[in-house]
Amino acid sequence: MLEVRSLSVAYGGLRALQGVSLNVAAGQFVTVVGPNGAGKTTLFKTICGIVLPADGRVEWEGSSLFAKPAAARAHLGIAHIPEGRQVFRTLTVRENLEMGAYPEAGRAQWVHTLERIHTLFPILAERAEQLAGTLSGGEQQMLAIGRGLASAPRLLMLDEPSMGLAPAVAETIFERIAQIHKEDGLAILLVEQRVAEALELSDYGYVLETGRVVLEGPYQSLLADDRVRRSYLGLGDENE
Amino acid sequence: MVENILNAVAAGLIIGCLYGLMCIGLGLIFGIMKIVNFAQGELLMLGMYISFYVVAGFAAIGVLGPYVAPFVGALVAGPVLFGGGALLHRFLLTHVSGLSTAARLDQGGFGQLIVTLGVSLILQNGGLIVFGSTPESVRTPLSAKAFIIGPFGGDTMLFLNQARIFACVVAIVIAVALWLVMERTRLGKSLRAAADNPVAATYMGIDVERAYRIAFGLGAAITAVAGGLMATYLSFTPFVGLDYVIIMYSGVVLGGMGSILGAFWGGLLVGFVQQVSALVLSPQLQNAAIFVVFLLIVGLRPEGLFGRSAERA
Repeated sequence: MLEVRSLSVAYGGLRALQGVSLNVAAGQFVTVVGPNGAGKTTLFKTICGIVLPADGRVEWEGSSLFAKPAAARAHLGIAHIPEGRQVFRTLTVRENLEMGAYPEAGRAQWVHTLERIHTLFPILAERAEQLAGTLSGGEQQMLAIGRGLASAPRLLMLDEPSMGLAPAVAETIFERIAQIHKEDGLAILLVEQRVAEALELSDYGYVLETGRVVLEGPYQSLLADDRVRRSYLGLGDENE
Repeated sequence: MVENILNAVAAGLIIGCLYGLMCIGLGLIFGIMKIVNFAQGELLMLGMYISFYVVAGFAAIGVLGPYVAPFVGALVAGPVLFGGGALLHRFLLTHVSGLSTAARLDQGGFGQLIVTLGVSLILQNGGLIVFGSTPESVRTPLSAKAFIIGPFGGDTMLFLNQARIFACVVAIVIAVALWLVMERTRLGKSLRAAADNPVAATYMGIDVERAYRIAFGLGAAITAVAGGLMATYLSFTPFVGLDYVIIMYSGVVLGGMGSILGAFWGGLLVGFVQQVSALVLSPQLQNAAIFVVFLLIVGLRPEGLFGRSAERA
């Protein structure tokens, strides 16, 4: 469904991504992990058209995404839930969700998706008339996810949904993401620093370091990899 | 004395409604889209001249009659300035506002100041060349007529200038219509979303540049219509905008940034204070009275009368 082929991005002279390739199939849960500054957010921004690529291709269902301006990409069924939540602070919770449903598909299924969003996150129904800026961090993250779902997407891209959240809240968020993946059959591309939780949820994972994919594979094989265990899971080598 | 107070209050409310409409135009551009537009006064001036030329130049009076023509003139200014405003944004302001500046340190603030100040000067002096420096006004038979209410309680009578009353009614209708558009429609919400967070709005599929263009055009149109309506009761030159741009900014800030309704009430309050202060102050001090009230309110309520804080308490 989403194919990233040897993508390179440079900011000034700085190479943020170097020949990154990545696949998300329909209904698949894919996770990208890696340290700060590895280029995870740059990857997302390039897919969404906020950052321009230096080289490579990104294809969505067989046609190039780079031919489309940034605003047109949301209409193709890709929902981006950005780093730092980025809710519309001066709009109400309900209006935020309505803006999520801005694309045609979202509007057509609005009644249905709103009900679904409220089932997943009942707090959003309770706070419907409140300004989004007055919500807590966890609630804002729920709103950001709900806003993404409102567009009735086929791919949900989440950039560090657990950032800045208390562990218990982060856990709820991960549970909901897993639920959305299972029950709605949505393809998910997740970028996370909480590696253990993120990999546990996913079918396939990529490890990104300084702009390159250094490791990839199914969840089981990544968890078994020594480098992943040492650098990201804080586990020692069992043979030592 | 009672009669004076009564008439000043009535005039304050009526002129206040027109100021309110004028402020809504800036409220969209400055309060919501956060574009610092110094040329807003000149948009008001253009609205006045467009109305003037439609009524006098195109002999609209002959066709539509002396009562309807001035209002048609004022309303014509709307679409003309919507187009003009959208073009101005497309070719000049797009470089200093919206998505292109979202990542910059000053968020485009300094660029906007200089660009719109330049536009303001060009329009003032261009207006001097094209329209001349003779004060003009849109004359209607209503300008010299008044509804007389009373006498009540002795010989107290209320005189309501008919031109102002009709202008005021049109202003209220337009203000309510715009408020409904901004609060209830998908277009209005998408404009607010684009202004709130241009990058996130792009992720939602909103064309942010287009949203800014529409908002700027709408803001220009609304202020121009207010100008066209005000032209029916006052005389103006190409420099008239200078008198009003500060009034507009104080109205918008008083009402609370980001609120259409607030901008209207802010403008109304400014007009009211200006007229009522004339009872005790000399005309030169009327604008000073506005700023005394302005400082008092902003001192007590920095977010403005209708500002809602979107930050977590």
